[in-house]
Amino acid sequence: MDFGFTDEQAMLRESVARYLAKNHSFEARQAILRSGRPHSDEVWRAFADLGLLTLPFPEAAGGLGGSVVDLVAVGELFGEHLLVEPYVASVLLAGRALAEAGEQPAAKHWLGRIMAGEALAAFAHEEAGGTAEPSQVAVRCRESAGGYRLDGEKRLVLGGADADVLVVTARTGGEPGEHRGLALLLVEPGAPGVRVTPFTTVDGRSAAHVGFDAVEVPAENRLSADAHGAITRTVDGAVIALAAEAVGAMGALLRQTGEYAVAREQFGTPIARFQAVAHRLADMKIACTKARATLLYTAALAEAGRAAPRDLSVLKAQVGRLGRAVGEAAVQTHGGIGMTDELAVGHYLKRLLVIDAMFGQSDYHYRVVGAAAS
Amino acid sequence: MNLESGPEIEDFRREVAEFLDTAPTDAIREAGRKTTSVFAPFDEVMQWHGILHRKGWAAPEWPVEHGGTGWTAEQRFVFAEEYCRRDLPPLLPNGLKMIGPLLIDLGTDEQKRRHLPGILAGEDYWTQGYSEPGAGSDLASLTCTAVPDGDDYVINGSKIWTTLAHRANRMFMLVRTSSAGKKQQGITFLLLDRVDYPGMEIRPIVGLDGFPEQCEVFFDDVRVPRSGRVGAENDGWTVAKHLLRYERGGSMQSPWLHRFVRMIRAAAGERTSPFGGRLADDPVFQRDLGELEADVASVEHLERLAVSGHPIAADPAFPSLNKTIGSELIQRLTSLMARVSGLEGLALQLQALEVGAGADPLGDGFDLIAMPYYLNSRATSIYAGTNEVQRDLIARSLTNR
Repeated sequence: MDFGFTDEQAMLRESVARYLAKNHSFEARQAILRSGRPHSDEVWRAFADLGLLTLPFPEAAGGLGGSVVDLVAVGELFGEHLLVEPYVASVLLAGRALAEAGEQPAAKHWLGRIMAGEALAAFAHEEAGGTAEPSQVAVRCRESAGGYRLDGEKRLVLGGADADVLVVTARTGGEPGEHRGLALLLVEPGAPGVRVTPFTTVDGRSAAHVGFDAVEVPAENRLSADAHGAITRTVDGAVIALAAEAVGAMGALLRQTGEYAVAREQFGTPIARFQAVAHRLADMKIACTKARATLLYTAALAEAGRAAPRDLSVLKAQVGRLGRAVGEAAVQTHGGIGMTDELAVGHYLKRLLVIDAMFGQSDYHYRVVGAAAS
Repeated sequence: MNLESGPEIEDFRREVAEFLDTAPTDAIREAGRKTTSVFAPFDEVMQWHGILHRKGWAAPEWPVEHGGTGWTAEQRFVFAEEYCRRDLPPLLPNGLKMIGPLLIDLGTDEQKRRHLPGILAGEDYWTQGYSEPGAGSDLASLTCTAVPDGDDYVINGSKIWTTLAHRANRMFMLVRTSSAGKKQQGITFLLLDRVDYPGMEIRPIVGLDGFPEQCEVFFDDVRVPRSGRVGAENDGWTVAKHLLRYERGGSMQSPWLHRFVRMIRAAAGERTSPFGGRLADDPVFQRDLGELEADVASVEHLERLAVSGHPIAADPAFPSLNKTIGSELIQRLTSLMARVSGLEGLALQLQALEVGAGADPLGDGFDLIAMPYYLNSRATSIYAGTNEVQRDLIARSLTNR
């Protein structure tokens, strides 16, 4: 068994780390947030140059054929640097869903543009149920004269306000709770009947709620029927990438909080000397260690094609709960300054809260694990 | 990354399963079902140790030249998984996981020749004489003295929390040989090749669960041979710290933790929720069990990374991380056991817990062990250095640079 990064993965990680260290300090990141733009085009171009936009896609589709573990190797860095660029939204969610459609011409066209850095896509999937389980999808798509008519609403579509195209999960048949009757559709955000309500998430990301009122979708924009498997694979890939981000953010919080506890003096001594503070640091390290072990092991399982739904639930639940705990402990240890917008600590906490809330909160996934027959 | 698997490992699993299904006696299985501690019922577990030794499987973690199995890490994991899947008592750790590995690392050739075979075969049981009434977490404050006199040391003082000392025939201990310098500097590590030296007295201590698992040992001018010293005189702290790495980390806890989850799941499938239906289908129970299962999974992942040589295990705080995580998870699992057992677990059933007693338990086998297991496992966050001490060490790894 070997759970370390390969030489190639270490090189990829090193090149991305070097770029981010030089160009994506916390101050640079805050400047991007203040710019009024959803993210930095410059960073996105650099991602294209580094090969990140083609990394996850098969070579046959023009990608680099990267593995799950490649994405974990860079995902930890994205978390460490609090990236707001829509990598998960456009590349890992929408892009992956497009790649699932294979040779379908419309999918191929948009995937090509995403990989080239010419277009951004968003994956409109989550509804109000608090879980990413595809069978919960209720948005309807009925056959119409020109193809399909789409009705319903998607909540918190990452990158949904800036996307050139939306990849929408919808139901052509069956009822919520059933695996059958799910489809992936391409929808242009400017199409009549598409309501985009843009907002910024608490962690600084551009997102939108997207409603569909009798939106006409041409037949050729249906990417795949019977899409339960394709949606599951797409979401699972994103969950692992988000877990890697969470673990990267947790590691950064642990390091910064340890350094702060040594530097900060009260009552004439570094606060790290106080056992109540030291033990909170220890608990943070325990949480980080557990989360990272589960991330690396689950990634290895996924790469071997052996990650069961239960394994993904364990991962999502652990990074959700442990990430939140580490974030809250970091703010508490920093005291008043940890409550301010000017320190990275609170931004990490908010990133971790968002990761916990998306694709099923930890409580949901724990119950899935506890209910599973073993 | 690469996950090893294949037909060879499955063949190995079958070979292990076949032996574990056929070799243990009924009494050994009963001892497995009645285990409510790290320390399984003594007579049966030592008998089982002997059976495993004759098969050559008593010490999978030892080097081959000292009687280890030569298995890969993956094979050791499979062995532990199959072992814990059955009603089998875990072998006592003091010999195989503590003093044995220590002697392999730091013992003289004579000490190895003399002591390792008995440890490996399960003929000897070694009790650990570390703590004293005035030296628990602050172990270096120990005052039990040993004064050199000819070929002997003369020991005076007492030791406490000497697990199963009343069943032991050997003892390893820390004694004070000097009061000069820092308190860590005057400590010496000794092996006692018997526990019935004149002047030694062993008194069992009844624990919260009602069993005399722990003991106190008193020394009144006890003469023991100096040849039992490991390491140099006054350098016992170094030896003790080396041993602590084995005591706190390195072993495979997760297969044993999975065993708790299976027991709890099975019990919940047979009980009713106060809100109707089976407890196993109760949403609150499912959520709480799910969190514990996920934490058990994380321990397994950490152990699999560790045995593969991943740098995550090279952290200087790893033994403390491992000890803290594992010990607190056992406590949470046994808490859930007691919760699932509920009223049925409240009956004190010391007689029925004895192997071969023939007394029928009230309730089922789960109810019989749930409360004693809960009570006994309050000790996991105390022994081998309290978890407060472990957290101090973990925090130090972050703030000492």
